[in-house]
Amino acid sequence: MNKEKRNKTSLLNKPVQKEPLLKRILTAKSKWDDKDEFLDVIYWARQILGIILGIVWGFIPLRGFIGLALFALTNAGLLYLYIVNYQCVDEDEYGGTFEMAKEGFMTSFAAFLVTWIIIYSGLYYD
Amino acid sequence: MWADTLLIVFISVCTALLSEGLTWLLVYRTEKYQKLKTEIEKQSKKLEKKKEAIESTLLDKNVKKKIEREEERLKNNNKDLTMVKMKSMFAIGFAFTALLSMFNTIFDGKIVAKLPFTPISWVQGLSHRNLSGEDYTDCSFIFLYILCTMSIRQNIQKMLGFAPSRTAAKQGGGMFGTQPKP
Repeated sequence: MNKEKRNKTSLLNKPVQKEPLLKRILTAKSKWDDKDEFLDVIYWARQILGIILGIVWGFIPLRGFIGLALFALTNAGLLYLYIVNYQCVDEDEYGGTFEMAKEGFMTSFAAFLVTWIIIYSGLYYD
Repeated sequence: MWADTLLIVFISVCTALLSEGLTWLLVYRTEKYQKLKTEIEKQSKKLEKKKEAIESTLLDKNVKKKIEREEERLKNNNKDLTMVKMKSMFAIGFAFTALLSMFNTIFDGKIVAKLPFTPISWVQGLSHRNLSGEDYTDCSFIFLYILCTMSIRQNIQKMLGFAPSRTAAKQGGGMFGTQPKP
């Protein structure tokens, strides 16, 4: 009886094993207990996306205001789809759509501009 | 143009690392800073939880007063933290102004890159600084350097764990204390 009880308690106290971060990022509808962790994922995803878009825009090459506008739309749109449709996270828990949209946006915009300018001037103005 | 642009990115990475290194030496590793930082984070989290709890219940005057007192304490701690940072910020600021003026003279009047867009008029002062001609897609050193620093420095701070936590920034309103709520 006592042994059974002890077993039950040890099972209850056993720390919940967290899945590895990469697996949670790639799996749809993952569970995010730590809000900061999810916001960090969004932040770094934005940085990587900014650099990739900068390289692509530079290679095409896109010029003018359309390049800037397309970046803003793609960056915000893709991340929004990932958050709301893929991970199915309630934005209100994180302070609303705007809070999520601005997470790391300026840094990502700067990274995008730097890569776009460097690739564009390197390829077409050397 | 590859050489110039990549050199500017390299300069920006070096200055960001140097500045973070100096700040670590003068501020981050000090006991006072670490104590204040942990305290602010603890207080911010506590305050956020209390504010969330209060939203779902009716406003009680005593609870409201208590929260206001805690906000005041947090504001004071934030002020202390800024003061701790201030001295080193000034030292680093002076050193980097000298460094920047040196790079400015090296790249003076040189087109370091070509912009794929024409910047709006109030940015042209930066992007076309010290450059001759009317082609506003020419890019000066300072513009590319500022863009590099904007992305690289913040990402380095985040990677090294020196960036302020979100809760603290939200509750403390950043460097200048709490923002008045409408």
